[in-house]
Amino acid sequence: MIKLIRRNLLRNKRRTILTVLSIAIALILLAFLDLLLAAMSGVDSANASRLVVRHAISLTFSMPAAYEQRLAALEHVEGITIMNWFQGRYIDDRPENFFPRFGTDPDTFPDVYPELEFSPGAIDAWRAERTAFIAGGALAEEKGWEPGDVITIEGDIYPVDIELTLRGIFTHPTDEAAERVLYFDWQYVEEALGNPGAINSFYILLDSPDNMNETIAQAEAMFENSPDQVRAETEAAFFLSFIEMMGNIQFLFSAIGLAVIASIFFITVNTMAMAARERTTEVAVLRTLGFTRSRVLAIVLLESLSVGVLGAAMGLAFMVLTAGALSSFLASQGMTFSELRLGERTPTLVMGIGVSLGLAAGLVPALQAMNMKIVDGLRRVA
Amino acid sequence: MAERLVEISDVTKNYRRDAFDIKVLAGVSMDVSEGEFVALMGPSGSGKSTLLNLLAGIDRPTSGNIRVAGQSLGALNDSQLAGWRHRNVGFVFQFYHLIPVLTAYENLELPLTLTKLSRAQRRRKVDLALEVVGLADRKDHYPRQLSGGQEQRVAIARAIVTDPRLVLADEPTGDLDAGSAQEILDLLAQLNEEFGKTIVMVTHDPRAAERARRELHLDKGRLHSAARH
Ligand SMILES: Nc1ncnc2c1ncn2[C@@H]1O[C@H](COP(=O)(O)OP(=O)(O)OP(=O)(O)O)[C@@H](O)[C@H]1O
Ligand SMILES: [Mg+2]
Repeated sequence: MIKLIRRNLLRNKRRTILTVLSIAIALILLAFLDLLLAAMSGVDSANASRLVVRHAISLTFSMPAAYEQRLAALEHVEGITIMNWFQGRYIDDRPENFFPRFGTDPDTFPDVYPELEFSPGAIDAWRAERTAFIAGGALAEEKGWEPGDVITIEGDIYPVDIELTLRGIFTHPTDEAAERVLYFDWQYVEEALGNPGAINSFYILLDSPDNMNETIAQAEAMFENSPDQVRAETEAAFFLSFIEMMGNIQFLFSAIGLAVIASIFFITVNTMAMAARERTTEVAVLRTLGFTRSRVLAIVLLESLSVGVLGAAMGLAFMVLTAGALSSFLASQGMTFSELRLGERTPTLVMGIGVSLGLAAGLVPALQAMNMKIVDGLRRVA
Repeated sequence: MAERLVEISDVTKNYRRDAFDIKVLAGVSMDVSEGEFVALMGPSGSGKSTLLNLLAGIDRPTSGNIRVAGQSLGALNDSQLAGWRHRNVGFVFQFYHLIPVLTAYENLELPLTLTKLSRAQRRRKVDLALEVVGLADRKDHYPRQLSGGQEQRVAIARAIVTDPRLVLADEPTGDLDAGSAQEILDLLAQLNEEFGKTIVMVTHDPRAAERARRELHLDKGRLHSAARH
């Protein structure tokens, strides 16, 4: 019986191969979308106790620096620091030179990032020198920076060029992507701009993740009647909203994913329907030979299932072979929130879709084959 | 007189087409004894295939009863009937209907995969059946690599590989040239005489019918026996 299914699959090799390939390609696309989404939600480096406060309208709006004092007074706040996205250009516009560079406050930064480990003396050196910066271990290694090296970043959002000296390295215990970031003292830019006192975001560490919702509500309520209202969210959610500035990516991804699944479903259904139609007489012959209805159902379903599983397996094999390369490519494109990692979730998703696709596509032909009257199947030829 | 293998009593069959009921069989009764070779003749559309299909258990009568070897077919549900067909009936089609993706050997093995036989036991049965039809040297050929007559011989081998008591053939020579048809008829006669298979064969060809030991004529849904010999 297995032999029959295998031979039937090979009967129209080109059709089978095309179908398997299109399933594989679609699932690869889907898996990458899923991986990207997972990476963007920043699950790895986001701290569940960390909260980000930003302008209610958009990330591109800023808030008065004085908000820091008032937020710090909230009940569950353990630490608060400022965080400004400087952007700018390092050397040139090549994607590998586009990594996040944040202006922050060296005095309060360590309070908000307790999970980071700093090289000895780094914090003190950073605090002592206005033009000092610290870099993540992965980033420093990639760029070949040594302590004492000076780099220049040309301003674009802000009309200031900054010249920074590396004074320390920090590492993250689990997330390499959290190390592809540079932090410098925002006061440097602040003074160069004539002290406007405008802040993009405040990062707050709470005493416990349990107090997250309460603090979010308090923070937003605090500035409800101010000209600059704020939006507070978890760090993970903030990562996402940051990405969403470029368009509603999450929605887009889901829509693309659904479209991909739908089209591949129709392709598979069509293949299976064609295969089944060609074989109406054969099914009638099998039944005449004594194959039961359920056995015929199983044969058709298994054939269709194999197409789905083969496609998924091919897609997965490709993913496994290329995930590493893709991850470093994305990192070089500035997608550094988190590493792309082929965990359990994505392969399970891919296999699950492959299996359901196979079964769903085979269901109608299988039921037709099962319910066909033998005499009708036999009469079709002559 | 040998034991009665097939007993058909007052069987009718109507097909529903749109709103109309077409009466195909209007009360047919007949017996076939163990070891008989019966030819079923009659004009096109007279219901020969219909009767044979009922006998093979691949269709059910509108009324009446069919017993084969004491078993009433109406008493079996669909899957029991499938098992019954597998054990008791070998069916030979006009257009052979071999599975194109399987070799001659594999086509014969297919019905045996429904049994508990080991691979070696299956091989013995398949080889024997191919031997009987004289195509042992063609066992690795695919149907498209065989001539029509050879295909039909493989199909006959498939029908007997499970060693059924009853072999049913619907115009087995209808698609063959005279020479091949002759070979097929010889083969069926041999199965009947040497192996004691009971055969019911539908045919249009009077010369084919002559090879059988009894002729029955179906006309307008009723059976007339034509005595001979
Ligand atoms: N499955 C079916 N559905 C509807 N009508 C059918 C069906 N099978 C047979 N008939 C009708 O029943 C009648 C008898 O058909 P059957 O195939 O038994 O005739 P036959 O004697 O075998 O003819 P032929 O010599 O042409 O093969 C025909 O009118 C046919 O159209
Ligand atoms: Mg007929």
